[in-house]
Amino acid sequence: MNVVSRGVKNAVRSPLRSGAIVVMLAISIGLILSMLVARSSVEAKITEVKANAGTKITISPAGVNGFAGGGDYLTSTELATITGTTNITKTISTLSDRMATTDTNLESSLTMGSFGARQERFNSSSTATTSETAPTDSMFANDTETARPVPTPQVTVTGTTDVNSVSTDGTSLTISSGTTIDGTSSDLVALVGTDLATKNSLTVGSTFTAYGSTVTVAGIYKTGNTFQDSGLIMPLSTVQTLTSQTGSISSITATVNSSDNVSSTVTSLKTALSTKADIVSQAEQAATSVSSLTSISSLAMAGVIGATIAGAVIVLLAMIIVVRERRREIGVIKAIGGSNRKVMIQFMSEALTLTVIGAIIGLALGVAVSGPMTSSLVSSQTSSTSTIKTGSFGAGGPSGMMQRGMSQLSTNFTSITSSVTPTVFVAAIGITLIIAIVGSAVPAWFIARIRPAEVLRTE
Amino acid sequence: MLVVKNLTKTFTSAAGEVNALTNVNMTVNTGEFASIIGKSGSGKSTLLSMLGALDTPTSGSIEVDGVDIAKLSASKQTAYRAKKIGFVFQYYNLIPNLTALENVMLALEFGGMPSKKRKARAEQLLTDVGIEPDQQLRKPSRLSGGQQQRVSIARALANRPAIVLADEPTGNLDSETGKKIFDLLHKLSRSENTTILAVTHDMDIAGRTDRTFKLKDGQITV
Repeated sequence: MNVVSRGVKNAVRSPLRSGAIVVMLAISIGLILSMLVARSSVEAKITEVKANAGTKITISPAGVNGFAGGGDYLTSTELATITGTTNITKTISTLSDRMATTDTNLESSLTMGSFGARQERFNSSSTATTSETAPTDSMFANDTETARPVPTPQVTVTGTTDVNSVSTDGTSLTISSGTTIDGTSSDLVALVGTDLATKNSLTVGSTFTAYGSTVTVAGIYKTGNTFQDSGLIMPLSTVQTLTSQTGSISSITATVNSSDNVSSTVTSLKTALSTKADIVSQAEQAATSVSSLTSISSLAMAGVIGATIAGAVIVLLAMIIVVRERRREIGVIKAIGGSNRKVMIQFMSEALTLTVIGAIIGLALGVAVSGPMTSSLVSSQTSSTSTIKTGSFGAGGPSGMMQRGMSQLSTNFTSITSSVTPTVFVAAIGITLIIAIVGSAVPAWFIARIRPAEVLRTE
Repeated sequence: MLVVKNLTKTFTSAAGEVNALTNVNMTVNTGEFASIIGKSGSGKSTLLSMLGALDTPTSGSIEVDGVDIAKLSASKQTAYRAKKIGFVFQYYNLIPNLTALENVMLALEFGGMPSKKRKARAEQLLTDVGIEPDQQLRKPSRLSGGQQQRVSIARALANRPAIVLADEPTGNLDSETGKKIFDLLHKLSRSENTTILAVTHDMDIAGRTDRTFKLKDGQITV
């Protein structure tokens, strides 16, 4: 029997007290592990958010939001400025247009509804004079108060250099049949939204008329978004040529090389483009999302520190009590020739034994509760950030990029999954060791101060 | 041989300096059974703790077989206690959660005996002091006072010390058991040729030792 095994044996000398200490330690160590897990999960998510959403900047013509507002389209001059800006690695240009019945033989799959009718009233006011003289369907002419043309929804055309930018869920566009198109070409090809294709009985290889030209259907896409699925996607330059708007761009999404450079890039873009463009970076929206994640992370870190201190104090107090209680015994051991070092090792192994037992139970406990704890931590924080989901992006138009960004932000919270990684586990064990060392250092000092002569004192 | 020269111990208390021991001189030959008697507060325990290297004197020297233990470093003092000194206490002071055998083996461990030899040596020592094999595996709480003191004597003798220091070894025992313990110590001092120095207030016991030192107000009076 050596000094270490004596310490281990002493740890279970008073089962009730040792049990209570172990339970308290287990709770604090379990808390440490689950907090570490929560923290690392949230940190991983922050990195992900910054890496994905945080690097995109949306540049739209000043005053324009979708099809609302007014102003001039961006031109290839502005595009060149943007492309030439430091840190910008990639740009996606988009030109959107809407085809009326005069432009195409396609029929929109959208119904007018009250929203569409209202939009139509604004759009057709300028043509009111001509429509008054034009012959109209008698049935409608009798019914309507003013003599406007039969209101029909228009077909949205998105000309883009990257068709995946239309996807609403942040991933590649889902092509349900056919093949995708090259956004950088100028071919007369189109991807047709699934609803529009059904409405007009279009299949891969079908043709339709747009702006007087015949366009071939290359593929059918499906986003699950009714607005997007009733539209068309064509290469950017095709749309520019067909609509006689060469060089015009209604929206540019620029990707910055690092999330750290987003704000500086936004600043330099704002300077370079001055009044010509409105610039919105997803980083600004992501910042709101990340800031609450960061607060969860720091909360979890505070929890780790708190639980560590609690654990160390538990061991510390327990060992102080034990040392005080066994003062005489320590004196005897010293009197019969036990060195300070040996007595300290004995008590440290006792403290370590308690900590290890507590750690085993605590780590098991931590693994069990870390999942629910992470989700409860996150859900308690999301209520304060729910406003970001209902941001000012209500206007129509091909705001797929924005929608993608928003959907990504809204999934930030729901997709945080806690996982006990080896790193976190090692960190938890390291902290446990710190607890044991701190918890037995002060008692060790007490041990060193006990004079063996005290054993000669009578009781 | 134990030679104490001009041993003085001064404590500093709130009331000022207190001389617990003043110029104590004494010599005890190897194998001698000596006793120290004196009233409470006469300095008996202080003298014993000096001799056992549990405390360092203010001045003077304590020579054990030619080595001045008062001038040893703390770690050397610990080694001295482990190998050269055996303690027998009034309240036995056995480690409560170790068996009688383990208590003796603990002293052997501190004395530097290889772990394989400890058990046989401890069993032999306990048998010599009259502890039966089944009692050797008991913890102190399941032994009588006399048995505990026997275990403590076995522990004190474990490393064949130069001196056994006994602090009221019979003080907590009934007179009959006390006599048996005294006889045991006496027998061992003869058979092992160990110097035994016992502090006692029992004049009957003191009278039967080879030599008696009387301590009064920190000074040897005889």
